[in-house]
Amino acid sequence: MKHILLLEDLPEIRAWMRKLVLQVFPDAVISETARIQDAMSLVATQRFDLALIDLGLPDGSGVDVVTKLRDLQPEAQSVIVTIHDDDEHLFPALQAGAFGYILKEQPREQITEQLQRISQGEPPLSPSIARRVMAYFTEKAKPQAANPMPHVSLTDRESEVLLRVAKGYTLPEIGVQLGLSRHTIADYVKQIYRKLNVSSRAEAALEAQRLGLFR
Amino acid sequence: MPGQVRAAATRAGTGGRLAVALAGLGLLLGTLPVRALDESLEDTQVLRSAVVAVGDGPAFPAVPAPVQAVTLPDDWSVSRPGFQGTVWYRATMDFRAARLADGPATDLLALYIARACSNYQVHLNGHLVASGGRMREPVPSHCTRPQLVNLPAALLVNGRNEIDIKLVGHRLAEVGSAQRAGGLSELVVGPHATLAAHHTRQTLLTVGFAQGASATLLLMGGFMFVLGYVNRRESQLAYFGALSVGLAIFDARLWLREVPLSHRLSEFMLLVLLAFIAWAAVQFLLRSRGLRLRHADAGLPVQCALVALSLLIAGPERLHALALFWYAVFALEIGAAAVLLLRRPGGGETRWTIALLLGAATLAVLADATAVNASAEVVPGLLASAGLPLVVLFVGLRLVMHHGRARREAEASREQLERSKRELELRVRDATQEIERNMRQLADHKIEQVAERERKRIAADLHDDLGAKLLTIVHTSESDRISTLAREALEEMRLSVRGLTGRPVRLADAMGDWRAETVARLNQAGIEGEWRSPDEAPQMLSSRAYVQTTRILREATSNIIKHSGASHCSVTCATADGDFQLVIQDNGNGIAQQDVDSRLDKGHGLASMKNRAKQLQGQCLVESGPGYGTVIRLTLPLDRATSAS
Repeated sequence: MKHILLLEDLPEIRAWMRKLVLQVFPDAVISETARIQDAMSLVATQRFDLALIDLGLPDGSGVDVVTKLRDLQPEAQSVIVTIHDDDEHLFPALQAGAFGYILKEQPREQITEQLQRISQGEPPLSPSIARRVMAYFTEKAKPQAANPMPHVSLTDRESEVLLRVAKGYTLPEIGVQLGLSRHTIADYVKQIYRKLNVSSRAEAALEAQRLGLFR
Repeated sequence: MPGQVRAAATRAGTGGRLAVALAGLGLLLGTLPVRALDESLEDTQVLRSAVVAVGDGPAFPAVPAPVQAVTLPDDWSVSRPGFQGTVWYRATMDFRAARLADGPATDLLALYIARACSNYQVHLNGHLVASGGRMREPVPSHCTRPQLVNLPAALLVNGRNEIDIKLVGHRLAEVGSAQRAGGLSELVVGPHATLAAHHTRQTLLTVGFAQGASATLLLMGGFMFVLGYVNRRESQLAYFGALSVGLAIFDARLWLREVPLSHRLSEFMLLVLLAFIAWAAVQFLLRSRGLRLRHADAGLPVQCALVALSLLIAGPERLHALALFWYAVFALEIGAAAVLLLRRPGGGETRWTIALLLGAATLAVLADATAVNASAEVVPGLLASAGLPLVVLFVGLRLVMHHGRARREAEASREQLERSKRELELRVRDATQEIERNMRQLADHKIEQVAERERKRIAADLHDDLGAKLLTIVHTSESDRISTLAREALEEMRLSVRGLTGRPVRLADAMGDWRAETVARLNQAGIEGEWRSPDEAPQMLSSRAYVQTTRILREATSNIIKHSGASHCSVTCATADGDFQLVIQDNGNGIAQQDVDSRLDKGHGLASMKNRAKQLQGQCLVESGPGYGTVIRLTLPLDRATSAS
């Protein structure tokens, strides 16, 4: 039985999402809310397995909820559900620890499939996101003077995967090219996201330390 | 610059040494004739004794008058101190006709008098044979020039001949220099030719030289004075000019015979002139190093007045003593000025100048003092006093050179200043231009930033507002078609926003995006998708080109999925000849030819594809035929695509 959080401000969309989720996870317990504040308190009080979070909310950014969920419940998966497909919106969410993202306007079948895939451990990765991630880790790899914490870096394999995704190959194709199963490739993607999150959190912590704030 | 200065200094040093050498040489040359005289004039008789009688008459005073035996040269300040007036000398000469053995009276005799001061008359055996001019005031002065008197053979007698010389002279007390005190030198009798040659040479050496020096000094002095007067900053030149002119006039005493002034007045004026010369000399020395002493500026003219005053007060009888006193004062002043300058640091040139001038002046003074005795030849003294003009001349030339060099340097530095100024102006202009450029860039950047913010705001608004509504339609519409339309509208909106906010995209990245989307859609529709693209694509694609090509590709893919019934689709990307080529081929039913050509092509969107391509200065060709499938060829120029953003 899955506990699922739904954060979406448009009521029709929320209703539709609920229907969708129940299709994929028939025995799910769904908590709905339209406000970030409520979501934050829910995250603090209830245990969730999955959270579907809208980015563009009137009272703030869904990224905060992702961050909080990651902090309080690391095993939970948060998935961004959004209109925006550009990396400028998605990347921060991924950095905060989102497991994946779903574009809202897709047909029901596709979203269902994506949701299923995510629950099976295969997060989506678009070429633009892949490029962004590559750029991020390249930047991190540069020797920096005042960086006492050992930075997280990608393995060669992971970089390979990212590169191919950026070129537009699908995960099965990459699997064929590298002689690995689709599942393995998906694992790599998961790893990449995790490293992104870890690295981002470390960076944030360092920044907070430098600014003299407590976490 | 330092090299030039050093070169100038060495030139100054060598110049100074040269001047000293010249002066020394001059002196040396001057003394040569002295010795020469003694050696070469063998046929001559030197009369060294005479009898003297005071008298003013037309002939040697008659016997009852008191006579005195003297030796020649006779210096009145010694033999008759304080005497002023006319005396008669009588010297006897032996004449043998046998001396004329060589021929008839072709061998003319002459009398050579080295110094007869101030004026004279010569009588031979009672006959007047030579006269120096007026024997009364104002007395012409022959003091400084040797005299040659012809002794006519007709007046000579065998045996004892009497040579009477009437001499008018001044006493020492009334003359400024012993040079002009009364006296008579030895008398030399000999062949005219020999003595004439000697006389010419001596005259040249003393009078001729002095005339030349005076003329040159006058000219140079005038020139320098004008130069100094015109350039107030180089006042030392004016003073040097005055010094030079004064010296020229002063040296005129050596060769001017007739002066239309009484003796007392001319002596007076000589002394005052000397005072002016001293004034000019002191000021020249001071100003040449830039010293302006108030005391000197005021005191020296006063001193000249004082000199005149003192002479007037003391009277002509004490002129000599007063002259000596003032000589000392002048010497001290000039010496003091020299010491002042020598103690100042720097200026090796000036040291040489001062040394030269002082040395020459000292020599002149000493010579003047020692030339007194009406000795056989006053040449050393005269030449020493000719040495001073030489030195002054040389110093003047150096000053002119110096002045010229200074002018040139001033010109050069002015030119350099001009150049520096121009360069500075250029630099300022460049800097200004750069600043303007930077300001413009900054302004552009700011505008860009503002535009970017605006775009982002519009994008956000669109997403929030329009996007939300479309989304609602997508998921709540009963009709699939409406949902699809809304979805397509949403995607289109997103693409438009991307075009608004987008910067140029790397072609490689664009192809990656296209591949992912197209292959995913084809696979989902059950169509086998094949994608070929080059590994390297370093070109850039403008945001607009990216957006339009995406639309074209989407449209084509949609057509294939919805209408073609194909099972296989291949997409090929390539760059060639500066163009981007996209070829989409499927093995479907194809499109009927008339539909391809017609403008209303039944929702296949071919017309819009062609339009979009044309807008990007490219083209979109469609080849199709029933049963042959469809090939869509899109060609876009890359360079223009990049710049048209």
